[in-house]
Amino acid sequence: MLWLALYFPQLPLEVFTRVRQQAGALVVVESQAGREQVSRCNSAAQAYGVRPGLALPAALTLCADLVVQRRDPGRERQALDELAAWAYQFSARIAFEPSLLLLEVGASRRLFGGLPGLLQRVQHELQQVGYSARHALAPTPTAAGLLARSRPGCEVSDAQALRSAVAPLPLASLTRERAVRELVRHVGLHTIGDVLGLPRVELARRSGPALPALLDRLLGHAADPRDEWSPPRHFAQTVELLGEIGQSTALVFPARRLMVALCGFLRGLGGGAQRLQWTLQHRDGRPPTAFDQGLLDPSRDADHMLEVFRERIERLVLPAPVVAIGLRVDDWQAFAEHSLALLDDNPGPRDHALLERLSNRLGEQRVRGLRCLPDHRPERAWQLCRPGDGDALPDGAHRQGLSQPPWLLASPRPLRDCGGVPDYGGALRLENLPERIEAGWWDGGDITRDYFIAHSPAGERLWVFRDRRGGGWYLHGLFV
Amino acid sequence: MQVISLDDLKRNGDLWQGRRAVVPAGRVLSSGWPVLDELLAGGWPRAALSELLSDSHQGLSLLLPLIARLSAEARWITWVAPPHVPYAPALAARGVRVGRLLLIREVSDEQALWAAEQVLKSGASSLLLAWPGEAGGKGPQTAQLRRLQLAAEQGDCSALLFRPLRTAGQGSSAALRLRVRPAPLGLEVEVLKRRGGWAGGSCIVPVGTGLRAEGRGRRAEDRGARSEGGADA
Repeated sequence: MLWLALYFPQLPLEVFTRVRQQAGALVVVESQAGREQVSRCNSAAQAYGVRPGLALPAALTLCADLVVQRRDPGRERQALDELAAWAYQFSARIAFEPSLLLLEVGASRRLFGGLPGLLQRVQHELQQVGYSARHALAPTPTAAGLLARSRPGCEVSDAQALRSAVAPLPLASLTRERAVRELVRHVGLHTIGDVLGLPRVELARRSGPALPALLDRLLGHAADPRDEWSPPRHFAQTVELLGEIGQSTALVFPARRLMVALCGFLRGLGGGAQRLQWTLQHRDGRPPTAFDQGLLDPSRDADHMLEVFRERIERLVLPAPVVAIGLRVDDWQAFAEHSLALLDDNPGPRDHALLERLSNRLGEQRVRGLRCLPDHRPERAWQLCRPGDGDALPDGAHRQGLSQPPWLLASPRPLRDCGGVPDYGGALRLENLPERIEAGWWDGGDITRDYFIAHSPAGERLWVFRDRRGGGWYLHGLFV
Repeated sequence: MQVISLDDLKRNGDLWQGRRAVVPAGRVLSSGWPVLDELLAGGWPRAALSELLSDSHQGLSLLLPLIARLSAEARWITWVAPPHVPYAPALAARGVRVGRLLLIREVSDEQALWAAEQVLKSGASSLLLAWPGEAGGKGPQTAQLRRLQLAAEQGDCSALLFRPLRTAGQGSSAALRLRVRPAPLGLEVEVLKRRGGWAGGSCIVPVGTGLRAEGRGRRAEDRGARSEGGADA
């Protein structure tokens, strides 16, 4: 098993800020020892010098226009619950800790082209729903949660690596139990590694049975059952806007957050929605404005939904400013992943017959589709997939592709160095400033390369790179 | 007996008319390169077989604007036995919807021809690009090319075969045969054979890196117009 922990350190703030495109200076305060103090603040507030830990009156003297929100644990819990619905697309097993989601991804990572693909997809989508997370991967949920909080970015998959990853962490980060605090103070056991070195019986005698049991769950020696999230029958989420929105077109931004969350949920269910029910709450207790957004075909494409929403909302006259926007989907059509990929353009029945005939005769591995992956490394920026399953990434993710060639060599081919320039039937002429591609430090497949467009004496245009780590020139693509 | 009028023959481009070849709209697909469209009397032959002959599988860049345009439609863009990896991010950046690409890969020469014919006649593909194996001079034979031509008509699919230059001497039933070679400003395209018209004529297609075909083509024309103007003055 492999657990992905997503820790949301800014959750108390983001539950307020994520629905507004531009927010003024804002702080979230909580009571500490009887006085109000800043718990989180956004970048606009930081620009005034406001910092977490500052007393509220002091913060208000720094910035008179400060918007103050009281920390709202109920809203944070609800946000996690809504995030779980979104995360359902990545895992069917989801559990919670405070400000933290746990997803079992051992089974699902292959669907996303391995862990790097999965992680990038998670981060990309999180940005779109309006939250920021730190992650960690570990074989047990307790360890994943601990690492996400204390060593974000840490990814371990086996027991040995797990032990060495958690050993240097302070014992206090694992639990706040009193018996443990005393161990630290009186016996001088500061880190998890310190207690792991103790004989078990000795440890249990000093700390009570809770700590050894916790360590067993941490390292996977004992089962660690969690209350798992179960998908609701309906999708219904409401976001309260921070302030009011008077222009209907300004609703597009918060509406998109809801649609991305909905689409994540629908992907988890393997379904698509055909009717989106929107509710706009107005101030002063006016009756809400409700309207339906129908789609010709079931969809879980947030961009497509947004387009339709935009058209719908443009014709809408708001009777009063809006303070909250809600999205509800009561039913969805279940259908196979395959039909979904072909849904938007309905290629007709002959399409299927062709793929079947080709695959039956040649084998599925020889009849493939192509998809882009969100990676800067040319070797990992694409992938073969089932025909029709792939599509380009949204948001111009491949703008850099314009300077890259339509053909890629299956593996880079070494070129002889000819007085500082590569040789391919003669010395090559390099056309442009290099495009540096430096990536992969997170998964060990790291590269540092300078790519050039080069002209061969025969007149061909080539894509070559110089390996900045190992040295040497390579041919990697062709513009022909 | 079916009577075919002379006008029909002319309109369909089935009658050889020398330089006055008029290929009817609807029978051609604009290439997206103005200079190339002019050379080819409108563009690539639709629902027919064309061949691009070169030293090393050159000419894909010429087709990228067409691939991008057709990928917006519902039918497949099929690649049979491509010599390298079609690089998805670069294609996407040039407007190609990569989800519409269908790759037939790692197949024998015989399988490649069989697959090409199935794809062409299925009607489920709008464009077929194929790099048939040519090992030991055993490329597709005249009869096989004829079958592909018929299948292309049957399924309304335009087929483009990338073949070595040395096959230029062999007979072919292709509607269009072009010779492609690198030139300083792009790719030089020379017409070796054209259905219903003279061979000969060439142009340089400014296949660049970043710029879109239409924009670049137009700019090349502008430059041409300016230099002509200068000559007049």
